[in-house]
Formats: sequence, structure tokens, C-alpha cells
Amino acid sequence: MSLVVDSIVKKFERFPALNGVSLTAPQGAFLALVGPSGSGKTTLLRILGGLEFPDSGSVHFADLNWLDVPARDRRAGFVFQQYALFKHMTVEKNIAFGLTVRAKKLRPPKEEIARRVEELLALVQLEGYNKRYPSQLSGGQKQRVALARALAIEPRMLLLDEPFGALDAKVRKELRGWLRAIHERMGITTVFVTHDQEEAFALADLVAVMNAGKIEQYGTPQDVRRAPKTPFVADFIEVQAGI
Amino acid sequence: MKFRRYPTQDHPLSRIALSLIAIGVVTLFLVLPLATVFTEALRKGLGVAWEALDDPDARAAVRLTLITAAIAVPLNAVFGVAASWAIAKFDFKGKQFLTTLIDLPFSISPVVSGLIYVLIFGLQGWFGESLREANVKIIFAVPGIVLATIFITFPFVARELIPLMEDQGRDEEEAATSLGASGWDTFMRVTLPNIRWGLLYGVLLCNARAMGEFGAVSVVSGHIRGLTNTMPLHVEVLYNDYQFVGAFAVASLLALLALVTLVLKSLLEWRFADDIAATHRH
Amino acid sequence: MSAAGFRFRNPSALPGFGLSLGFTVFYLSVIVLIPIAALIVRPWEIGFSGFWNVISDPRVLAALRLSFGGAAIAAVINAVTGPIVAWVLVRYNFPGKRLLDALIDLPFALPTAVAGIALSQLYSANGWVGEPLSHLGIRIAYTPIGVIIALTFIGLPFVVRTLQPVLNDLSRDPEEAAATLGANRWQTITRVVLPSLMPALLTGATLAFARAVGEYGSVIFIAGNLPTVSEIAPLLIVIKLEQYDYAGAAAIGVVMLAASFAVILALNLLQNWIGKRR
Ligand SMILES: Nc1ncnc2c1ncn2[C@@H]1O[C@H](COP(=O)(O)OP(=O)(O)O)[C@@H](O)[C@H]1O
Ligand SMILES: [Mg+2]
Repeated sequence: MSLVVDSIVKKFERFPALNGVSLTAPQGAFLALVGPSGSGKTTLLRILGGLEFPDSGSVHFADLNWLDVPARDRRAGFVFQQYALFKHMTVEKNIAFGLTVRAKKLRPPKEEIARRVEELLALVQLEGYNKRYPSQLSGGQKQRVALARALAIEPRMLLLDEPFGALDAKVRKELRGWLRAIHERMGITTVFVTHDQEEAFALADLVAVMNAGKIEQYGTPQDVRRAPKTPFVADFIEVQAGI
Repeated sequence: MKFRRYPTQDHPLSRIALSLIAIGVVTLFLVLPLATVFTEALRKGLGVAWEALDDPDARAAVRLTLITAAIAVPLNAVFGVAASWAIAKFDFKGKQFLTTLIDLPFSISPVVSGLIYVLIFGLQGWFGESLREANVKIIFAVPGIVLATIFITFPFVARELIPLMEDQGRDEEEAATSLGASGWDTFMRVTLPNIRWGLLYGVLLCNARAMGEFGAVSVVSGHIRGLTNTMPLHVEVLYNDYQFVGAFAVASLLALLALVTLVLKSLLEWRFADDIAATHRH
Repeated sequence: MSAAGFRFRNPSALPGFGLSLGFTVFYLSVIVLIPIAALIVRPWEIGFSGFWNVISDPRVLAALRLSFGGAAIAAVINAVTGPIVAWVLVRYNFPGKRLLDALIDLPFALPTAVAGIALSQLYSANGWVGEPLSHLGIRIAYTPIGVIIALTFIGLPFVVRTLQPVLNDLSRDPEEAAATLGANRWQTITRVVLPSLMPALLTGATLAFARAVGEYGSVIFIAGNLPTVSEIAPLLIVIKLEQYDYAGAAAIGVVMLAASFAVILALNLLQNWIGKRR
């Protein structure tokens, strides 16, 4: 049940956003994609989520040819940088959305959905916020609702695109530890995109450093830190650490 | 690799169905009526259509329409510029209310718009007696037609310029003033060049409505052939007289005017998108 | 007039406030406000009972019902077709799209009398649409259905033009989020996209309704104007004026004016409500 990404190429108007990307991660891994803006992180994540399709290459996950599974059947919980909450729905409706759209046969009964919403609200520490609208929440709270909404469908894979990018430094640090705790508890294979190498190293089991549509180096944070394989990686780590 | 549909894309069959519905609605409600105007005008050939246009009453109607627009449009343009200058460049109490009042004629029935002038200047109106004594005719005469047209087209330029000038802010004018430019110079050299395409856009729409207005003008005109009939009124008179070719011939002139307006409008939206109010940028 | 005397405005370095506002208020009063006041005071010369007699006349009631009811039905039709047209124009690409887009404004640009005789001809028993329908036993011209057709024509651009910019600016993220959460396209459209278009749709439909209630030129030719059947309220005003019944005409006019004010009020409340939800 591991994740195998093989030789993915994706071009936008002939300009390659991904130029032969391959990586393998074991089931339940916490994987960080890190790299400068425009290096192709979001594109790769969207391909994993079924929101974008590569020109060539393959992805295998859960014994499936992952690219042949439509987005809505993948059960890949996606968390967007700008939250993408449904503005006209309350917090509880947002979280329950993935369950209420299921076919009748697969849809849990109302009480069961309500119970799950309560559980998730507790998990993201937003008890009592059921009836709020997204416009009545802070940025950090919105992102926690977005995560709860993604977790509600019992995802096989969790995809996060710079989820803390729009938040201030203090909230970022808090949410970071808390996300790691959730991962430890649930063991869902998680791919986390960030342009902040410190955040990547603090969170992930495996780090892929990306540059110009390619993976420059892939390994554990310790390995990448100890032995940068290319001048780019050395530079990227150093420059960012120097800030 | 097999074809994959993006999750924000509609199913190809839905796309076809929705496109057909949209094209059907536009054809049924917009294209067919337009085509009808021209085919009915030419039903008995170009010659007959031309005769209807060459008729003295028709020419009088064209003349009156042009005169009416030539008075109403400049007046409302000047008003539009003054109103948007006051509203966009200054802060004062009641600004929102004033903006609502300026839009008022848009939400009033054209017939009611004509009615209000009859109630003032008509024979049994407020000033009816004194006007008759002074031998001044407003209702059932050209002044009434012009007044009703001004009322109907009142907001066009102003509502175009107010959001545009609010967008542009006050910096440039304040800079010019601080450099010693007079108010008039500031307006002519700084503001006017910035708003000219928006102004033209508003004038274009104002003119189309001024030449095409029917309901309001119909109430105050009295339908005197050769004297108080504008082109739309002449269309009505001919149509009710069962002179269908003539009616559609004059109507096709007005339809051409509408088409030219639409072409110029699209051109302005496309070529000068940044210089007209944001709501029109597609 | 010196602007310095005004206390109700914030100080500004720019000149011309007194002149521009003065002219604006003067012109507005002479052209719009005073004439409207003349309308509002007029019907009461026959007293409230006289006013009531005019309004409760079955012919007047039927005309008001047709104008308001027809406008409401037309607004509902446009609230269904308008979003489809706007969606196709914003989301799809096909040859001729620019032309289709430009044509939407035709009811704004085409004089209403021209639209009126064209629609009347088109839907009459020997017109392109009316003829095939007449074989099916459906009559449109000279019936209330004809009135609704004309009112739908006049209202369509209000809905489409209100929706288009909103649809253009609508982020795709929530749609993608819905897909990753397992929603099919229909669920995404009905539960995510349409609700976020609702305020604009309501605004557009209200504008279309307001325009249709008072519409005259495009209706009277196709309506046939049978008293109590296909006679609209604005036409009754014209008829009363032709009989020099100024007070009666003014009474109907006041009712229509009140309706206009109600719509403006409703629109303002709607905008406020939208502003709060954002
Ligand atoms: N939909 C698109 N159309 C065209 N170019 C795109 C699109 N999405 C991404 N790109 C381009 O692909 C490259 C990689 O983008 P992205 O994956 O968003 O990078 P990152 O997330 O690392 O900042 C960038 O140069 C970007 O401009
Ligand atoms: Mg990105």
C-alpha cells in the first residue's frame, strides 16, 4: 500500500512544470515537498489529488492505478492554502459535506454524521463552533475546519498545500505540532507542501527538495541536512537557515 | 493515456446541452425578433421600404428624434460629470442617498415618467392654466418630448462616471491643485482625459435610449403626425395603421442604431477595459 | 456660493464642490424630484375614497395583477435561463461566443417599440414561432402569455449581466474541494456553486422584475390589450390620460411608484445582507 510516483511529466503551454518526478513513500509516511516558488510542488500535489493530470508517468497507491481513479473516488483529503471553505455553510455543514454527498447506501445516518462532526470538532479544538460561518472565524480556525472537513471522509491520503502559508508565525508553530500529533494518531499517508524548509524538517519523515520541476534530493531530514547532494540543496538549506 | 476530465469541468453531454439551451434562449428571444424586423421591412422589396423612409412624416420623425437627442444627451452628460465630480471627489453627508436618487428614473415606469410631466404642464396640470394664457405649449409639443426624454435618460452618464471616478481616486487632482492649477485646468487636463472613455460609454448608452424611448414620449406627445412624432412613435402610428412594411422599415433604422451601439459598446469594453467602470469589463 | 460654509462635508483641497453639488441638486430637483412630488400629491384631490375607487375597479385590479404577476413569472423564467446563459458565456469556449455575449445587451439597446412590433409579428399566427405553435393549438400573441414573453425578453440582460462578473471572479477552489470530498458534478453545482451565486441571482431577478413591472413599449403590441385579460397597468394610465382623467391616471401611477420604491428598498436590504455575509 505504498505510494509510488514514477517519471511524472506535466507541461503547461509547453513549459514543463514537472520534468520527470519519481518518488516512493511507505504507507503512513509524512512526506514534505519543499522548494522555491514555481518549482512544481502544487502541481505534483494536485496530480495526487486528481485535480490535475500529467502528460506522462504513473502513480500507484493502495494497489490502484491512482491516475485512473477520479478525484471524487480517491478519498484524498485536500487542504488548500486559501482554505476553500464553503462560505454559505456553517462549520458543521462544511465538515459534514463529504459524508452528506455520499450515495444513500453509503451515507451514515444523521445521528452518526452529527457524532462524527462533534468528534472532529473536538479533534481540531473547535468545540462549540458548529453554527459559525467561515467569515466569523480567524485564519487559523478556518484552516482547522478545512482539515476537519478533509478528515471527515476518512481519507486514504492527506494532501496539504502550504496550509499554514497565510497564517502568522505564532499560529503556524502551534498548528505544526498539532498536525504532527494528528498524523501520529491516525497514521494517514500525508503529503505536505511548503516553501519553508524549517517547517518541512520539523514535521516530516521524508523530505523531497524540488527545483524547476525536478526532485533535487529525497530522503530523511537528517540525511538531507547532513549531506546535501547538489549545490542547489546546500544553498537552499543554507539561505533559508540564515534568515 | 486515456482522456481524463478535470473535476471542475462539466460532462461533455452537459456542456452540449447547456450550450444549446443558451443558444436557443438567445436565438428565440434576441436573434429572431431582430431578424424579423429586417425581413418584414424588406418583405415587398427595398423600393417599398425606401418609400416609407422617404415619406415627409417619416423624415419629420427622424428630425425630431435627432433634435431631442441633441438636447437631452449633452444636458445629461454635463449633469453626469457634475454629479460624479461632487460625489466621487468629496465626502459629504447624504452621498449614498443622493446616488440612490440619481438612479431613481431607472426604476420608474416610462409611462409614469411621462405622466408626471402631464400632471405639471398638461391642460389640467399645475401650470396648465397659466401656460395656456401665455400661449406656451409643453405637453403635446416638442418641449414635453424633450423633458420626458431627459428624465428617462437622466442617470446614464452619471452612473457610468461615479464608480469610475471613485476608482480613480483624488490623488491626481490634488497634485494638480497643489501645483497651482485652477479648478477648470485641473478638470480639463487631469480629470477629463482620465474619464473620456467612460464618458463616451455613458453618452453612447444615453443616446441609444434617448433616440429609442417610447413609453414616456408617447404619453406627452399627442401623436401629431409630422409634428410631435419621434421615430418610435412613428413606428407605432404606422403599425396601428396596418402599414406594416413602413412600420418595420422605420423600425429597422432604429434596429441598425441599436446594432451600431452594441458594436461600439463591445469595442469600448474590449479596447478600453481599464478606462471604463469595472462592472463592464468582461 | 462658498463651499467653506458647508459643515456636512469633510475638508478637501479640491475646488468646485459648491458648484458641482449645487448644479446636481438643482437639476435633480427640477427634472426628477419636483415632478415626482406632483405625481404623489395629485390623486388625493379626489379623496382617499376616490383613490380607492380607482384602484379597486376590477379592470384596474386585473391590469395591476397582470403587470406584477407577469413580471414575477418573467423574472422566474430569467432566473432559470439567465444563469445557464451566464455559465455558458463564462465557463465554455466556442466559436461565436463574443457575438453571443454582445447580443445579450440587445434589449437594452433596441427601442422597446421595435422590440414590441417584432415580438408581436414573430409570435403571431403567421410568424416564424407563432405559426408552428398555432398548429399545436397554442396562441401566444394577444394573450397573457405574449405579455410574459415580452417581459422575459426585456429582463434577460439584467440577470445575465449581474451574474457574469460574479461568476468570473468565483474561485474554483471550493469546486475542487467538493470534488475531493466525493461530490459529483451535480452536487457540486447545486450545493456549492449555486448558493454562492444566490445573492447576485436575487439582485438580477429583482432588477428584471422592477423593469418588467413598468414596461410598456415591448408589451402593448403583442398583448392585444383586452380589458381584464391582457391589459397592463401602464396602458391603463395612458387610457385614463386620453380621457383627461388625470386623478385616475395619477392614482395608478402612485401605486406603480410605490412598487418601484419597494423594489429599491428591497434591493438595498439585499445588498446590506450580502455585505454582512461576506
Ligand atoms: N494552470 C497553470 N497554467 C499554466 N502554468 C501553470 C499552471 N499551474 C502552474 N503553472 C506553472 O507551473 C510551474 C509550477 O507551478 P506550481 O506547481 O504552482 O509551483 P509551486 O507550487 O512550487 O510554487 C510554475 O512556473 C507555474 O507558473
Ligand atoms: Mg504552490
